[in-house]
Order: sequence, then structure tokens, then C-alpha cells
Amino acid sequence: MTAPVGTLAELRAALEARRVSLRELVDAALARAQALEPKLHAFLGMRAERARAEAEASDARRAKGEVRGPLDGIPVAIKDNLVQRGEPTTCASRILEGFVSPYDATIVTRLQAAGAVIVGRTNLDEFAMGSSTENSAFGPSRNPWDTTRTPGGSSGGSAAAVAAGIVPLALGSDTGGSIRQPAACTGIVGMKPTYGRVSRYGLVAFASSLDQIGPFTRTAADAATALEVLCGHDPFDSTSLPEPVPQFSQALTGDVSGLVIGLPKEYFVAEGVDPAVLASVHAAVAELERAGAKTREVSLPHTKYGIACYYLIAPAEASSNLARYDGVRYGHRAKDAANLSDLYCRSRSEGFGPEVKRRILLGTYVLSAGYYDAYYRKAQQVRTLLRRDFEEALAGCDVIATPTTPEIAFRLGEKSGDPLRMYLSDVYTVSANLAGVPGVSIPCGFHDGMPIGLQLMGRTLDEATLLRVADTYQRRTDWHARRPPEPA
Amino acid sequence: MSKVLEKYEVVIGLEVHVHLKTASKLFSNAPVVYGAEPNHAVTPVCLALPGSLPVLNAKAVEFAIRAGIATHCEVHPHSVFARKNYFYPDLPKGYQISQYEEPICTGGWLEIELEGKGGPALKRIGITRIHMEEDAGKSIHDEAVAGTGSAVDLNRAGVPLLEIVSEPDLRSAAEASAYLRTLRSILRSVDVSEADMEKGQFRCDANVSLRRRGETAFGTRTETKNLNSFRFVEAAIGIEIERQAKLLDAGQRVIQATLLYDPGTNKTRVMRTKENADDYRYFPDPDLVPLVIDPAEIERVRRELPELPDQKHARFVSEYGLSDYDARLLTTSRALADFFERAAKAHGTPKSVANWMLRDVLQALKERELEIDQTKLEPGALAALLRLVDDARVTAKSARDLVPELIERGGDPAALVRERGLEAVSDTGVIDAAADEVIAANPEMAARYRAGEDKILNALMGQVMKKTGGKASPAAVQQTLARKLRG
Amino acid sequence: MSRITREEVERVAALARLHLGPDEADRMTTQLDAILDYVALLSEIDTTGIAPTSHAVPMATPLREDRPGTPLDPEDAVRNAPAREGTAFLVPKVIEGEES
Repeated sequence: MTAPVGTLAELRAALEARRVSLRELVDAALARAQALEPKLHAFLGMRAERARAEAEASDARRAKGEVRGPLDGIPVAIKDNLVQRGEPTTCASRILEGFVSPYDATIVTRLQAAGAVIVGRTNLDEFAMGSSTENSAFGPSRNPWDTTRTPGGSSGGSAAAVAAGIVPLALGSDTGGSIRQPAACTGIVGMKPTYGRVSRYGLVAFASSLDQIGPFTRTAADAATALEVLCGHDPFDSTSLPEPVPQFSQALTGDVSGLVIGLPKEYFVAEGVDPAVLASVHAAVAELERAGAKTREVSLPHTKYGIACYYLIAPAEASSNLARYDGVRYGHRAKDAANLSDLYCRSRSEGFGPEVKRRILLGTYVLSAGYYDAYYRKAQQVRTLLRRDFEEALAGCDVIATPTTPEIAFRLGEKSGDPLRMYLSDVYTVSANLAGVPGVSIPCGFHDGMPIGLQLMGRTLDEATLLRVADTYQRRTDWHARRPPEPA
Repeated sequence: MSKVLEKYEVVIGLEVHVHLKTASKLFSNAPVVYGAEPNHAVTPVCLALPGSLPVLNAKAVEFAIRAGIATHCEVHPHSVFARKNYFYPDLPKGYQISQYEEPICTGGWLEIELEGKGGPALKRIGITRIHMEEDAGKSIHDEAVAGTGSAVDLNRAGVPLLEIVSEPDLRSAAEASAYLRTLRSILRSVDVSEADMEKGQFRCDANVSLRRRGETAFGTRTETKNLNSFRFVEAAIGIEIERQAKLLDAGQRVIQATLLYDPGTNKTRVMRTKENADDYRYFPDPDLVPLVIDPAEIERVRRELPELPDQKHARFVSEYGLSDYDARLLTTSRALADFFERAAKAHGTPKSVANWMLRDVLQALKERELEIDQTKLEPGALAALLRLVDDARVTAKSARDLVPELIERGGDPAALVRERGLEAVSDTGVIDAAADEVIAANPEMAARYRAGEDKILNALMGQVMKKTGGKASPAAVQQTLARKLRG
Repeated sequence: MSRITREEVERVAALARLHLGPDEADRMTTQLDAILDYVALLSEIDTTGIAPTSHAVPMATPLREDRPGTPLDPEDAVRNAPAREGTAFLVPKVIEGEES
């Protein structure tokens, strides 16, 4: 079995010293993915041939002194809800069986322009709906730290791939916490940028006003590197922000003196939270204080309404976004449909899993005549209040620090029987999506051998500050350097 | 029908869907094409592929603003795109991007001209709203193409439409027709659409209800969809009036329903009733932000707007001294108005040009069911023809006979006159001789004229005209005869 | 008090073109009921006069120049089609019953 891969920074050094070639890196990633697949099931499909060819092309360029940037030739993985031209995209659903996209997602184009080599597509909860990958039609992924536990979701496969050292960078998507929560579960860095920073063109839509693509990496420094490639205005996405993208790596000064960290009291209530998680987060904050930061208590008063708000808005948008999966132009079509209505109902019922169906039903219901005002519109109003909470709190501090999840990664099967219980575990992450603010999870401790995540949230467009705080913390601690045990 | 109309008042509201003449679609950069092979003009957005997203066409917005200003609407600086959710094979996303609670324009009107007892009268018809939306694709049921199924072509999916909704101010099929013609003319004159009904670029849904004369409450209305010719609109409205009257006469109620008109059988049938109407679950499209338009932009469009039919009408009256009626007729279409102005400029006497156009040219066009820009008649040619008449080189009658030919084949009037040997006979000798012959052959009529029956001259004139093959100037013939008869 | 009935679940399923078996319909009804019960929490909040948020991060309306791009190769357009006729998608017969 090949060794776990280093960070982007480590790889850059190795490449410059010519200790390894890009072809070798990609081969190692492919080999390690294959070796770990039975244990982790992080991937839904590999892209071996093309990846090798691209790596060789990168090596050839490098030999001539043409390096496109820090991601040139680097093996990466992407969540299987990002389309690639000529490759399958399943969204971990039977309804997209056989679907091959004729176009590339914008971020795929950006990765390719940067020379990154996509080695495979990672597992997720079906259509990104879930917190554990247990809703994948192709089986759950497993946490490299303890394979009886979930790696989190919905971007569990990508998190597992980075945590297990298969690739240094994997992409996920985050609608209610689907990057940050898996990062916390697997002890790596997962960032959700400000809504609109990264183009959604080619991201299979779940909830359009909440979805955002982001990177999984081992370090905040690597996340900064990745974000520079991913972020930027896209004319193909009407929700893509026009603001210019800062050089995030330049922001990593290692200095947080005078920086004010807000601690929202609603996130530190003991009830329903593992005390070990709270203790780790407090310790992390204390470390940052030792580095020169200040803390103050803030309030995000509408926190407790976040889940209710999220689980009205997200399914509503999803119910509409998933209407296109009808068996007409692509994907699964039921056999011998008697008529059109039969074709629609059977194709969709055969193709969608129970969680997706549940959310479509919920979403359709809350948008339907007579219920729209009481449910959907009401939730959109509460959303305004949540946004204001963040604006007001962030007027008095630079970043907000909270636990990412109320507990460590749960065991597979533990929550899958009770949808509502599963939803409630998103309590700390949904607000950032509803408010549009950026958020990152970084490892800050362990409990029972399982990682704990510290979440930092900040002002819109201020990913740089979040990364600076995260990087400073990582210069002073080594949680992020810990690796899960190599399988026997 | 007249019995029905004595008893009931007809209330009609029309919804028109018009294709905007943009080069690309409303939310994708796929080209707008007509008659292409299936799915030859589609992008991932048109196909609703996973991950595809809409981006709004700037030109479509400008066209919507123009249409709003041209119909005296309030153009809103803030409007919202909403999803209308339903399942149909020609609707690839499973929803149509439209506008619902906050459309781009509201509160407009236009005036239609009706034949009244005291002559033509103007009636104002309110326009409730104008909004932007995308068109759906097409399903082809032709057995040769699709066997026992249907074939779906998404070339048209995403083409920009304006939906223009009138107030229920129309009271007859004729008014409905007049409204549609006027609206179409306005849209063409501000260059936002070709509005070619045969290409499906101007489609109408007719909402019809009846109420007893004197009643103020509205009756239950039905909607007949997708009428794409003025004739079909009138026919479908007529059918509904008869059908509803029959129900009401029998003491039954009209059921709210959506109908389809079949031009082949001239019948309507029910598509769906209110009970099985879809719940569209409108909500603001989260893939798009609200459409915010700078009021300065609205003003710019207003300033740069091509002249509207009623502005043109007013100008024709003041600038060319035309009557209200004549001006109105000449401004029914931009092409006609443009033709008139060019011909008037070339000729020099607008009133004369107007007379000829309104009488002979329009007649010939009507007979051939053509628009003026579909003919070979050039404004310069009409002007030249009129000058030949002015110079008495051809009689008015001969000239009038040439109009259809110029329309069908074009050409130079002077050359045509020569070819056909239509030159006016102005040789007084010929006229004299003919007059003498006719007087000699009709002693009784001659006597009656001398006795004071002036009108009898016309009959004698007719005979002289016949003898000269219609080529003598009527004025000259009349003078000659009169002179000779009075002796 | 139940927030959603089995009949309503079936109505909604029809709207969403989903077919639910009897057990599935029962299960969904119970689960949706629990979820709706939970989200009713929002009715505690007074939202009078609060504008709904459709987009968390405000931005100006992006507009695209009216210039046609290159459409997809028609073969690519229908490559994923479960059934096709030439370059058209084939479906069971569509009865003229909906919008055109």
C-alpha cells in the first residue's frame, strides 16, 4: 500500500526537488484509492487513463519549465455531483444511471486550466441530501478513523479521500454543512466560501440559494491555494459574485493579534452537545487567545430556528430542481411505460431513494397553494432575521467560533431510521448557508479516537480572515497533522 | 347570435404570447431559429441538463421595456422571475421561468377603433400586465416521425416571450380582433417582434364569459388557448358565446375550463377543468436575482423608441393635412406608413398619394391578402404613376388598372404605360370626332341635355370613353361634349 | 393533531409525479408529520414587516449580451436519451392536455 499523500505544500517541495514525478503521484493516488476502496468506499468511479495522460502532460510541461501553478499535475478528487464532459455523473442516484455530461462544470474547467488532475468521483448522499453518505444509492462511505462510523455527509467520500491521504485536495459541496461537517468528522479542513464566490454552473443543484462548492484539504494553507483556483465570477452563473478574488495565500500572516473572536452563546449551550466537543472548542479558542486574539460573547438569537428554516427552504428548492429528472432526456426511464404519466411516476419512483423522495414531498407540500405563506414565505422571512443576526454580531467581532457538530462522527445506522434526528445534527452549520456567510471547519481535538471540529464563520467575502485564523491555529497545534491508522 | 347578444353581455379578456426577436434565447445563448431540425439549437441550459443555470438576455429586457412604454404601462424598476412548476415533455426543467407576483410592467392600455353609429370611435382597452417568460419546446405527434409516441424538439424551449394580459374590457369578437391587430401593430412598430402568426410568434388565449345585460358581476369564464390567427380567435369566441348562452338559457352553469380550438372542425374541446387544474407552486427563482432596472435606462428606451402608431397618426394629420380617418388607416402598419411617407416625399402632394393608397393600393392588397412590404410595388413607382396622371399622360382609370400589376410584378410605370399602349388620348381631333359621332347617334339624349338634364352627359361621356378605348381624359371629353351640345 | 394526512401526501406525490406504495405512503405520512410538527416552531416568531430573503448576498442583475453561442452537437444533445427518433426525444404519446 502506498503511503498517505502529503499536503499541497509538501508536494510542491517534493516536485521542485524532483523527488517525485506527477505521473508517480497520480499512480500513487489511483493505487491507494483502489487499495482502500473496500474499507472506505470513498469513490464511485475512477478516471485512471485520462488522469495518467494528463499527469504525463504536466510532467512534460514541468520539464520545460512551464508550471501552471501550485495545482499543476496534482491529483484531486471531485464529489460526484459536479459534471465533467465525457464522464459519468451519478449524484449517487439510480436516476442518473448512465448519464454522461456533454459539458464541464466551470470549476472543472478551472481545475483543468490550473493543471489539476481529476483522478475520480467521490461518494455522497444522494443528490447531496444527507449527513452521512448513508443515503447514497451505492452504499455508504466510511470514516478512515473508524470504519464503523460515518465520514459525515453529504460530501463524505471527498472527506474520506483526503483524510485517508489518497489525494491532497478534494471538492465537496455544502448546502447545510455538507463540507464542514464531514471535515469535522474526519479531522481535516473543509471550507464553504461566501455564497456566490464559486460558480455553481455544473454543480447539480440541490438547493440553489444555499449550495456552494468548496475544498477539503489537510491544512488551511492548502485551502487558501485551492480557493484561489476555484473562486471567481462566472458569467454562466447568475448568482456568481462579481467581486474580485483576493490572493488568499498572501493573507496567511500567522498574526491574529487584536483579532476579535465572537462566541455566540446559543452555540455553547450544554444540552444536546457532547461535553468533550465543547471542551475542545474552548481549548482551541484559548490557544488563539494565547496567540493574541480577543474573545467576546455575542448572540445569534435566531439560531434555534435555523434547522426549521433550512428544512423548509432547501426541500422546496430541491423539489423544483429535481423535477427535471423525469426519464425523458437522460437518466433512468421505467420500462414499458403505458403512458406519459406512468413514465414520469415510475421513472422517478424507481430512480429516487427514500430521503430524496421525502424531501421532494416536503418541498412540494410547502410550496403548494394554501401553504406557501405559512411555510415557505415564513421561512424566507426568518432567513432575513438570521442574516441580520450575523451582520449585527460580526459588526462587533472579526470571526465567530463555534463547534462544527454537536458530537463526534456517529456510527453507521445510528440515525438512519429517524430523518428528523438526522436533520437536527446540522444545527451548527445550517445558519451559515442561510445567511450566505463563509465558514470553515478545522480539526481541534479528539474524543474516543475521533476528530472534533472547530467552526469559524466570518463576514461575507472575508474568507481571508477565516483562513488566517485557521492557519495561525495550525502553526501552533498539530491536530491537522494527525493521520488515521493505516489499515492492516 | 343577435338574440344572444340582446340578452347577454359578452366579456372578453385576452392573453397574448409574443416571441421577442432576439438572436439568442431568454436564459441561454442558444440561437433562436425557426424550422431547424430537432434539437439543433440547444445548449445544456435548454436541455435542462444537471448543473445548468439560466442567465438573462439583456436585449429581451430592453424589448420588454419598449413594449411596456409603447402600451403606456408602468415599467417597474424591480421585478422578479418566478418558477411555474408542472410536468410536460416540452418543458425540460419541469418548470417554466416566468414572472408572477412582480411582473416587469403593469397598468397600461391601448386604443382600438370601432365602427360606431356616428362613424369610427375609439375605445380604450386596459392592459393589466406584461411579463417576461420562456417558451416551451414542441411535441410532434406525427406518426411518420414518432410512431405511436410523440417526438420532443427543444429548439423552441427557452425562446423569449412576452405575455400581455388585457383587462376584460372587450365586448365582442370584433373588438377582440381589433385589439389583437392594434397590439400586433404596436409591437411591430417598436421592433420587438415580427409577430408572424404563422410562425407562432403571436398566440392568443381568449377568456370569455357572459352575463345578463345590466349585471355587474362577472360570469364564469372559460379559456380557449393557443389561437394563432385572427380568424380562429373570432371563431373560437363565437363558439364560446353560443355554447355558454345555451347553457345559461337552460338554467345550467358554465364550468370554468380550459379549451382547445380545432380549426379543422371549427370546434372547441375541453383540455382540463378547474378541478384537475395544476397547482403551479410559484416561487421566486433562486438561480436568478431580482431584475433591477435603472430608471435612467427606462428613460433612455422611452427617448429612443421608434414612433408609435398613434404618434404617427397625429403627425400625419398635422404634417400631411390628412383626415383623422385617413391617417389612422395609413398608420395601421409601420410598413404602410413608411411606404406612404416615401411615396409622398417622392411625389410632393401627400393628399393625392393618400387617396390612391387608401383606395386602390389597399384594395389590391386586401384582394391578394398581402402586406405592403410583401409586394413588388415601390414608393417611387407609385409616385411616378401619380405624376403620369397629373400630367395627363395617362387617364386615372388606366392608371388604377395598373396598380395590381405593379403590386404583383413591380416595374416602371412609364414603361408599362408605353407597353400597353395606355397613353392618354389628348389629341383633340380624336376626341372631337368621337364626340360628334356619339351626339349624332343619340339625338334623344342630346335633346334632353339641351333641355336641362345635365346628368345625361355622363351617359354620353361613357360612350365617348368607350370609343376612345378609355384613354381619353374624362375632363377633355366632358368639355368637348358640353361645348358641342350647347352648340 | 396531525399536520398532514395520508390523502394530502398522496395529492402531493401526484403533483411531484412520485408513486408511493401503501407502506411507503404510511411511512412518509408519519415522517412528514413529524417534520412539519418540528418546523411549526417558526410560527413562534413575529415576522410582521420582515422582507423575505431569496438571495442571501445581494448583487446587481447580471445580464448577457444577445449574441448566440455555438449550440451543442445534436448527437451530444440526445446522446443520453433513453429513447430517440433521429435527433428528437421519443416519449409515449402526448395528449394535448397541457400548456403549449
